[in-house]
Amino acid sequence: MRYYMVLITTCVFFASCLKQSIPDAMLSDKHRNTGGITAMLSYEIKGIPVQISVPDAGSQNPLYATLSCIKYPGFYSLSGLSSTGEITFTFYTDTLTLGNYTYNGSYGEEFFMSFYNENQYTVITTDYLTFSVTSYENGCISGSFSGQLTPMINNGNNGFIHGDYGSTKITNGVFQNIPVFY
Amino acid sequence: MTKTMLILLAVIFSVHIASAQVGAMKLVGKNTKNYKLGFGAFIKTALPVNEAGSITIEGGVNIFMLNDPDGFGSGTIMCPLKAGYRYTFNQTGEGLYIEPQTGFNVYGITSMHDENGNPVDLKYHGVVLAVGTGYLFTLWRQPFDLNLRYETVIAHGGSNNLVALGISRFISFKKRYSD
Repeated sequence: MRYYMVLITTCVFFASCLKQSIPDAMLSDKHRNTGGITAMLSYEIKGIPVQISVPDAGSQNPLYATLSCIKYPGFYSLSGLSSTGEITFTFYTDTLTLGNYTYNGSYGEEFFMSFYNENQYTVITTDYLTFSVTSYENGCISGSFSGQLTPMINNGNNGFIHGDYGSTKITNGVFQNIPVFY
Repeated sequence: MTKTMLILLAVIFSVHIASAQVGAMKLVGKNTKNYKLGFGAFIKTALPVNEAGSITIEGGVNIFMLNDPDGFGSGTIMCPLKAGYRYTFNQTGEGLYIEPQTGFNVYGITSMHDENGNPVDLKYHGVVLAVGTGYLFTLWRQPFDLNLRYETVIAHGGSNNLVALGISRFISFKKRYSD
């Protein structure tokens, strides 16, 4: 019996040598799963290619991420920053799963991207942006997207007006390994 | 899992010698300074196997609240179920004793908020190892157990370590020796 008592006592003290608490270890695992991969998002806007690539994407600070998807209560917000502007899309769901997520103009005017300081919105009912999530593994999402948006242009008088409705075509949109932060 | 725990707790209650214990405890180790002093409640039973020793079974809950500026409700809860061997040094079943324990953390959850203030719940189980020492004594004809315990829960490559000071009050007692 003394042998077992000494054995358990020894185990207890060796276990205490683990350098991190369980929550820290679990968060580190989560970080490690997404830490070494490269996230990528590319698309063509008016036929001009845009690409965002972030190595070691899981190591980004969610507050200042270049390319990420962040979970909020009731929705997920995907955003990417590039030298030409930005892109953002909101998945209105509590739980992000594989499938298509569409926002169209009938839901209201919504900002989705900027391209050389020209912002693109859904304005008319035929405007839309559809994201298809085809993979959600190891805390990262991948898929494709496309859409049709309306530019908002400066009228030169400190005001903004709609450009040609539905004139901005978003094609060949692809995203890979974008980390989902909670 | 809940069913298993209920069955095991029923077993604990069904034996002749059981005690209810309350304790104050402190998480120790890295990144634990933000935790307040915790508290726990346990049901424990001891089955004498010889003059000096008893096999013990213990189920309980440990609660540690976190000082979290993002809101109330952050903290850690662990529900360990343990078996141990309590050895009294004077070999009478009373007095000073040492008690190593091993078991399973039936349910563990740590709730906190991330950098954006969003709630994060981390759930885990894990192996439980503990070493305790204490003093079994009788006060007003009631047996008590004052004890100090060091316990570690191991899961996901990390460990939650705690030091606990507790006192047990026997709620049902079968005398080791009949008069």
